[in-house]
Amino acid sequence: MMNCKDIENSLPLYLDNLLSPADKRAVEEHLKSCPSCAKALAQLQKTGRLVDGLAEVEPPPWFKQKIMARVREDAKKKSFTQKWFYPLRIKVPVQVFATIFIVVIAVYIYRAGDEQMKEVLPPQAPTPVMEAGKEPIPQQTEKASEAVTTTVTKEKVASRKDTRDEKADIYDAFSGVAAPKIKEPKKEIPQKNISAGAADMAKVMKADVSADKGRAKLASIPAKKAEAEQVAVPPYASIERKREGYTSDAAMKENRAPEVQSMIPKPTISVHVANINTAVGEVEKLLTKYEAKNIVKQTSAGKVVISAEIKTQKVKDFITQLKIIGRVEEKELPIISNKYDKLLVIEILSD
Amino acid sequence: MLFWMSNIIDSKKAINDEDLEYVVLCQKGDTDAFDVLVERHQKKMLNIAYRMMGDYDEACDVTQEAFLAAYKSIKKFKAEAKFSTWLYRIVVNYSKNRLKQLRNITQREGVSIDDSGEMKIEGVMCQSSANDANPGAQMEKREREAQVQKCITSLDEEYREVLVLRDIQGFSYEEIKDILKIPEGTVKSRLSRARNALKDCLVKVIGDL
Repeated sequence: MMNCKDIENSLPLYLDNLLSPADKRAVEEHLKSCPSCAKALAQLQKTGRLVDGLAEVEPPPWFKQKIMARVREDAKKKSFTQKWFYPLRIKVPVQVFATIFIVVIAVYIYRAGDEQMKEVLPPQAPTPVMEAGKEPIPQQTEKASEAVTTTVTKEKVASRKDTRDEKADIYDAFSGVAAPKIKEPKKEIPQKNISAGAADMAKVMKADVSADKGRAKLASIPAKKAEAEQVAVPPYASIERKREGYTSDAAMKENRAPEVQSMIPKPTISVHVANINTAVGEVEKLLTKYEAKNIVKQTSAGKVVISAEIKTQKVKDFITQLKIIGRVEEKELPIISNKYDKLLVIEILSD
Repeated sequence: MLFWMSNIIDSKKAINDEDLEYVVLCQKGDTDAFDVLVERHQKKMLNIAYRMMGDYDEACDVTQEAFLAAYKSIKKFKAEAKFSTWLYRIVVNYSKNRLKQLRNITQREGVSIDDSGEMKIEGVMCQSSANDANPGAQMEKREREAQVQKCITSLDEEYREVLVLRDIQGFSYEEIKDILKIPEGTVKSRLSRARNALKDCLVKVIGDL
């Protein structure tokens, strides 16, 4: 038997016809005998009607457009984020590889540029020379009297300079100025083109020869001069080194000129030609053709000495080809050789 | 992907959700497809929010937020229930969260939310029934509706939501169970208490019904 409280709790479900038939019958019987529960049912029905009567509200104008504007804005933002940051499992490795690639390319370009810079930059003179003085050159008589005081070092250094510097040198020697100022010499001989270099070399050589003669006259003690010539690098000497086709290396290697010169033995082949400059070029081409290594060229008064290592089996052919260039005179000196190569020292002389 | 799509299609067959076609398009990134879904559900969404909150402007804001949240997480919709059910659950939860926020603000500032809500309700009622012929009867009706809404708003949220969904929006017990994710028995018991509580409130406010 249900009491009023139970009936009251069951009334909403009774209205929705959700009670079991037994409960429904029990409620109906109770309602017949209980006016307060019947009143509660009537109130519930009235409440239902009031709730049912609630009007629906309409969305404000442009409500859908406002929503869609926000949705589209969000979609745009999302697609931008996805584009740049998702999926990370793909983006990150791609970015890492791209960075590595850029770094490698940058290093490669930097190095290539460095090589090119070496070619472009003028070669530096191998040894420091004395600064050319601006003062007028003293009289010849004064030079003669003071020449005794010149040192072997000064003689050696001065011998490497051009005629203009030569005059200044002579002045320094006579004035006895100690500790001459060292300066970077200007480019003396172009290194890029060997044949052009040879031509320039000839000009410089002539000038230096005259300067050397002048100095010889000035020197009152021949023994001193002889000593100087023996010790010093021969005047106007300039050594080019061409190794494995890298002409740009010549500029750097020039600093080692004295060492290279001391390594060149006496000539094993003499070639007598009409024009040294042309012949030098032809010999160099020939050496290149025969895959000669460690080609070292030395220019001196009236001759050019070229040393090169050439494969033993190619020596004969090379000498045959050399005979086309000029009159070849093979000297009976022991040829330095190792298992595969022979060192040939070719002296190119003018007829 | 194919597996997932086939799941969706199977669910479509089972539930017969006419929204699902557009939902799938949205999931593929078609923003315009969402326009159709907004058009279909905006009024119901707004009315649920309005009856839950009792404030028209707040209801508009909450509805907008709910739609935006639905779009953001539409890829998570697995078609286990109807899309509309999923959408209404979002708006109910957003309404409850907003009410909680407003309650906290009211407690801090000492302002009654009901008073301001009542004014706005009256404003909306004026707007919605401006074209009616009998101004006196309409005024009385508006007043009565405001009283009913005030009583609805005074109910506990767990009673309010079942009452709104069942008696105002007319959802079935099954749908309410899905929307609120509570057992059907709980829906019935809560609805029973909600109706009795509303009746008691209306008796207090109006007098003898």
